[in-house]
Amino acid sequence: MRIEEHPILSFKKGEKIKFSFDGEEYEGFEGDTIASALHAAGVKVLGHSHNHNRPRGFYCAIGNCSSCLMTVDGEPNVRTCTEKLKSGMVVETQKGKGVLK
Amino acid sequence: MKMTEIAIVGGGPAGLSAAVSAAASGARVTLIERDDHLGGQLKKQTHMFFGSKKQYASTRGVDIADILQEQLAKYKDRVEIMTDATVIGIYEDGILTIEQNNKYIKMQPQRIVVATGASEKFLTFPNNDMPGIYGAGAVQTLMNVYGVKPGNNVLMVGAGNIGLIVSYQLMQAGVTVKAIIDAAPRIGGYLVHASKIRRMGIPILTSHTVKYAHGKDSLEKVTICKLDEKFQPIPGTEQDIEADVMCISVGLSPLAELLWQIGCKMTFVPELGGHVPLRNGEMETSLKGIYIAGDVAGIEEASSAMVEGRLAGLCAAKGLGYEAENYEDLRKDCLEQLNSLRSGPVGEKILKGLSKVTA
Amino acid sequence: MLQNTGIPTKEDIAGVTPSLERRSKGPVAVIECYQKIPCNPCYTSCKFGAIKEFKDINDRPEVDFDKCTGCGQCVVNCPGLSIFIIDESYSDKEALVKIPYEFLPLPGEGSFVTALNREGEPVCRAKVVKIQNAKYQDRTPVVSLTVPKEYSMEVRFFNIEDYFSDNTYVCRCEELTMGELRDLIRMGYRSVDEIKRISRAGMGPCQGRTCRQLIMQELAKATNQDMKDMPMTTFRPPVKTIKLGALLGGDKDE
Repeated sequence: MRIEEHPILSFKKGEKIKFSFDGEEYEGFEGDTIASALHAAGVKVLGHSHNHNRPRGFYCAIGNCSSCLMTVDGEPNVRTCTEKLKSGMVVETQKGKGVLK
Repeated sequence: MKMTEIAIVGGGPAGLSAAVSAAASGARVTLIERDDHLGGQLKKQTHMFFGSKKQYASTRGVDIADILQEQLAKYKDRVEIMTDATVIGIYEDGILTIEQNNKYIKMQPQRIVVATGASEKFLTFPNNDMPGIYGAGAVQTLMNVYGVKPGNNVLMVGAGNIGLIVSYQLMQAGVTVKAIIDAAPRIGGYLVHASKIRRMGIPILTSHTVKYAHGKDSLEKVTICKLDEKFQPIPGTEQDIEADVMCISVGLSPLAELLWQIGCKMTFVPELGGHVPLRNGEMETSLKGIYIAGDVAGIEEASSAMVEGRLAGLCAAKGLGYEAENYEDLRKDCLEQLNSLRSGPVGEKILKGLSKVTA
Repeated sequence: MLQNTGIPTKEDIAGVTPSLERRSKGPVAVIECYQKIPCNPCYTSCKFGAIKEFKDINDRPEVDFDKCTGCGQCVVNCPGLSIFIIDESYSDKEALVKIPYEFLPLPGEGSFVTALNREGEPVCRAKVVKIQNAKYQDRTPVVSLTVPKEYSMEVRFFNIEDYFSDNTYVCRCEELTMGELRDLIRMGYRSVDEIKRISRAGMGPCQGRTCRQLIMQELAKATNQDMKDMPMTTFRPPVKTIKLGALLGGDKDE
C-alpha cells in the first residue's frame, strides 16, 4: 500500500522500524505514525467501539477525532494517527476505555 | 510562566503568514503548532494554487509551505517556534495553556492570533462509522505526508474543491477513483478542477447521495441514489459501487473552541462554515488583543487565509507599538488583495457571510 | 452541462475555439476556462501579450489568437490545467495536441497511446511525438500527441494504454490491424472494396466472414456514413476454399 513513485512528491523513506501489533511483528518506516504504518501493512481496523463493539479505523488522520485510539506500550488512548512510530513499540487493540494507574 | 509578545496559535498558511508580518514589524512572536512540522494543510497540496502572484499562484501548495518558512527564518532572532505543541486553553486573563510532549506549559502573551483552521464535516448514512470511510483530508495526509495509499477503489463524496483536488491526488498516487458524487445539483468546486478529472473518465454525479455503506469489518460496497430537487432520494435510482474507500468531503467547520473559551462574541454564519467570531477590519475579535486569521475566521481558500494572516500579524504588532515602516501601504494592500480574491461570483457567498460578522 | 458534469457543452467549446484559418496557420493556445474564478497566471505568464489584460482577477482569459505563438508557457502555469496547444499545420492529415500531464509513468516518445475526449472516452490512437519536462515547468510535463486533424478540438487527455494498438486484429487471415485500417482510411480509402484491394483483408481463407463487418463499422464511424448506404463488396464463388482437384475433376454428372 506504499506509493512507490509520485509525479510531484518525493517520499524520503526513513529507516525500517520493527514493531508489534497484537503480538505479531510488523514493519514501518521512520517518519510513519503508528496508524500510517498499520494502514500500509493493510490493517484498517484499529479497534472497536466501547458500547456497540463496532470496528473502528482512523478517520481524520490529524488528531481531531477519537477513531484511532489504541494501547501503545501499555498506555491506553494513544492517538495513533499522530503518534510517531518507534522501534520496538508494542501496539495493541484497546479493550475498554483504559484504567488510570 | 512563558512570556511572549504575540502568540500565534496554528502554523498553517494563516498562522505562518501572521508570524512573518508580525515579526517583520518588529514584534517577538511565538508560533505554536500541534503537528511536528509547520505548513498545516499546505504540506498536502500537490496542485498549483489559484489567485495571483501575491498569493503564490501557479506554485504548488507544498512549496508555498517552504516559501513561508523561509520568510519566517529571516526573523529567527525574534521568532520562537513550538512544534508538537497544542494550545489546550485560553483563559479570561489571556493566559494560554499548552501541552508539549506531555509537559504542561503556561504562557502569557500580550496579543494572540488564533489561526487554528478547520475540521472536516461528517455525513450521516447507515454504517458511516465503518473503517475505510475517511475524511478527504485524512486521505490526503495518509497519501501525501506518509506516502501510503488509502486503498484501491475510492468513492469521493463531495464535488467541492477539496473533493475534486483529493480525487486528482488519488489518481496521481495510482489509486482508482470510481466516481465523485454530490448531493447538490451543481459542482461546488472550480470547474477547471472538475473538467480535469472528468477527462480522465471519472464520472461526477451531481444530485446523488450515499444511501448505505456495506462491509464486514471495513468498507466493501456503497449504495448511492439520485436526489430530486428537494434533496429527497428518488426510489429505484439506487446503484452499487464497489469501493474499499469512501472519502467524505462535505465541507469544513471553523475550529473555534479557543475563541469560545476566552469569550469572543460568536455567531452562526452558514456561508462561512459554522460559528465564527465577530471581527473588525483589522481581524481583531470582540476582545481586544485577540486576532483571527484563516479558516477559523470563516472557511475560504488558502490564498485568502495567507492574506488574512498577513493582515492580522501586521495589526497585532501595531497594537503593541511595532508599526511597520510602510504599515498603511501594507494594510491597504492586504485589504485590496482580499477584496479582489472575493470579488467574483465564487466570492459572493463569502462576502455575504462576512457582512454578518464584520463591524 | 458543465456545472453538473464537468463536461463543457459544444457552445462552451465554440466560444474558446480559434478559427479554422488560425488553427491551420500553426500552434495556438486554446484556454478551456469557462468560469469566473480569482486566478490570473495565464495572463501574467504570457510574454507576448496574447492574453487580454485582466481588469479584475476574476476575468475569464481571452486570447488574441493573432498574437499567440503557441509557446505553451501558459499551459504549465495554469493551476486548472485547462490550457492546450493545438497545431493543425503539423502535417496534411494530422494535428498536434499538447496536453499537460502530471502522472507517472510518462509515455515514451514515439509510443502510441489512446487519445481521450473531455469525457474520458477513447477517440483515436495517438502518437506521442514529444515530452517537454524542463525545470521551469515545475513537474507539469507537456505531452505532444499527433491525432487526425478532425480530432484536434476533441482530444484532451490520453490513456497510456494503447487501446487501438496493433495488437487489435481486424482481419485474422491477412493480419490487418485496427491501426493499419485507420491509417488506410486516413489515407483516403473509403469503401470496403478499396480496403480489400489494398490490404487483402477479406481475400483470405475466410473470405471476409470475420473482418467485413468490423471494417464497415470502422469506415462508417470514421467517414460518418450510415452502414445501409455503404457499398458492399462483390461476392464471387467459391464461398469457401475447395481443393483444386475437386474443380479439375469436374462434375461427374456433367
